[in-house]
Amino acid sequence: MLSNFLRGPHWSFRALLVAFCLMPGWVLAADMGNCLLCHKYPGLSRIDEGGNMKLMFVNEDIFNTSVHSKVKCEGCHADITKIPHEPAKPVDCLAVCHIIEPTSEQKFSHKSVKTFMDESVHSKVDKEGNLKKFNEDMPTCKDCHDNPLFRPLAFVKKVRPGIADDAMGRCRVCHEKEDFIFRFYNHITTRLHKSRSPLNVAQACGKCHDDKELVKRHGLTVMAGSSYQETFHGKAANLLDEAIPDCLDCHVVKGKSVHQMYGNDDPRSSTHPDNRGAICNSIDCHPGASVQFANYQVHPMFDMDKSPVVYWFTTFFYVLTGGTLLPLMFILFFDLLRRLFPNASFTRRR
Amino acid sequence: MKKLLTKLYILAFMALVVYFGVIIWNLTFAHIIHEYHERHAANMEHSEESLVQKEKVAKSFEQVILNSETRTKQYLGYRVLEQQYIEGHFHHIGFDVGPDRHSYCSSCHGDMPHDSVTKDLRAFLNMHAFFIGCQTCHSRPEGEMATGVYKWYARETGEIIPSPVNDAPPGTYKAKIIPFVMEKGSIVRIDSQAKRDFVEQYRLNEKELTEGQKSKSKNIIHNIVSKKPVICEECHSKEKPLLPLADLGYSERRVDSITSTEVVGMIKNYTKFYMPKMLNPGVSHPVDPAVDPVEPVLPGQLTPSVPEVESLPPAVGTEG
Repeated sequence: MLSNFLRGPHWSFRALLVAFCLMPGWVLAADMGNCLLCHKYPGLSRIDEGGNMKLMFVNEDIFNTSVHSKVKCEGCHADITKIPHEPAKPVDCLAVCHIIEPTSEQKFSHKSVKTFMDESVHSKVDKEGNLKKFNEDMPTCKDCHDNPLFRPLAFVKKVRPGIADDAMGRCRVCHEKEDFIFRFYNHITTRLHKSRSPLNVAQACGKCHDDKELVKRHGLTVMAGSSYQETFHGKAANLLDEAIPDCLDCHVVKGKSVHQMYGNDDPRSSTHPDNRGAICNSIDCHPGASVQFANYQVHPMFDMDKSPVVYWFTTFFYVLTGGTLLPLMFILFFDLLRRLFPNASFTRRR
Repeated sequence: MKKLLTKLYILAFMALVVYFGVIIWNLTFAHIIHEYHERHAANMEHSEESLVQKEKVAKSFEQVILNSETRTKQYLGYRVLEQQYIEGHFHHIGFDVGPDRHSYCSSCHGDMPHDSVTKDLRAFLNMHAFFIGCQTCHSRPEGEMATGVYKWYARETGEIIPSPVNDAPPGTYKAKIIPFVMEKGSIVRIDSQAKRDFVEQYRLNEKELTEGQKSKSKNIIHNIVSKKPVICEECHSKEKPLLPLADLGYSERRVDSITSTEVVGMIKNYTKFYMPKMLNPGVSHPVDPAVDPVEPVLPGQLTPSVPEVESLPPAVGTEG
């Protein structure tokens, strides 16, 4: 029967169809259009008219461990309807894609993110709907997000992170499709903890909040990313501590989306002076901490004008450390020099 | 001897002391001086007006080029994904191919040299330039020079190496294909050490050369460049492909894939739509699909009946 199907006109297309049907599920998932025929090559790239590098390569292995692994290429790149294709248009992240959201059974979309963003401090428009000054500085999706990757946790044996084979084995008792088990496990366990490490979150925010010109343009008082790195929390984040609070833990109201972030003067904001007390004294962080505790200088900068106490305190220790160790190095150096030239002298010998 | 060793020991110790001294300086007083200068500069530069206007400052070479390549690390818990950061790039790269430190062409033209050819074609050509040496397509050894021998060289060292293809993902090899030619009775690689030395000397002395000397040098460097570069179909063809794919380590399956109707069909479509210059050298306007219709291929339908393309006189823009 199969051989009959493969005969006749357009046999090659039919063969391709059969090949697709016989492929494993995760291969079928995204690359129905065989886009990887070209896009699997890492050198598929060019320099655009603006001098920026454009890379059209898609690493299939990594893509298959991303939250979008089930979305077909044309689900996002909707303007591409034929091969060969024209240069692709920028992807509209708010487009309705082909995935069905299981609870509503509606087609999935990120539209709610836009609603959140329009009300947030990162909105391009103000409350009256007018474009803000320097609105081009406000982040779009790709400024904060690249393709989000699963960060699965192993619960059964916490020897190493990643997928727990034991747990997967339990899934297989009832569920048959391997790609479903893999994706479901990854999705759930990724969502049970931070989807990025605190260090990566601070780096993502720092892309804008450490940009001196941008900080000045928007009248911000601190370089938020770099000043976070100076704190105890930042130091721990640098050591890849996953439990340490990052930007989002303080700047997003618990239970809300990270896209619902408001300015410090907005009563809805977690960092509004009236709400700050609740940030630190949550049961997960410092239970019983006072309001004053939460009002300490969270973003200290080595800056005489903005943080004079921190500045002079740090300067004192710099001077103490440098003033002690540098003379020691001088003494050591000259002592060694004397050992190298034991008889050398500036004065003429008689 | 013992005295000499003691002296060397003391010298090494002194170097260590200086090294620690520099570190301590950078960690202590350098911070204070840096902060002072920054504050001073900020006070001088920024009036109130400058804060509300976006400054358009001409960017330096350092900002645009030297500092443009940054790397990112993503901590996934079970692995750390380190890769080059490309602004606005959504998909992950996941590995580094590494620069071609051997090619004397790349030393001037870069790793992505195809930027002036047809807009829709340049990415494909750059993709091939990742694993195919420039001379493979841009020179056509003829007559006694021709050998038909091609080998792989390592991008990092330039050494001839065994085929890196094996089961590696396509195009991810840290190597490139280079042709060999017959010179003085022996088979040698086309990018000989003499040629490399010549280019290096040219680059070192470029500023001091007169315009005439520059032109002469460029002519000598490019004298192996063919006016008609190798075109797609010469390799992506079942009939005597230019490159000896099997000898280069491609498995039978990969050879079939490279020369498959899927790939060849797409090239033909690209040729019709996007490479009109290939068909009509000298004609600057693209072929109007309405006048010369070709069935576009839908995704997942890459091998429909593609109209036969007439014999193709090759002529794509030449670059090194």
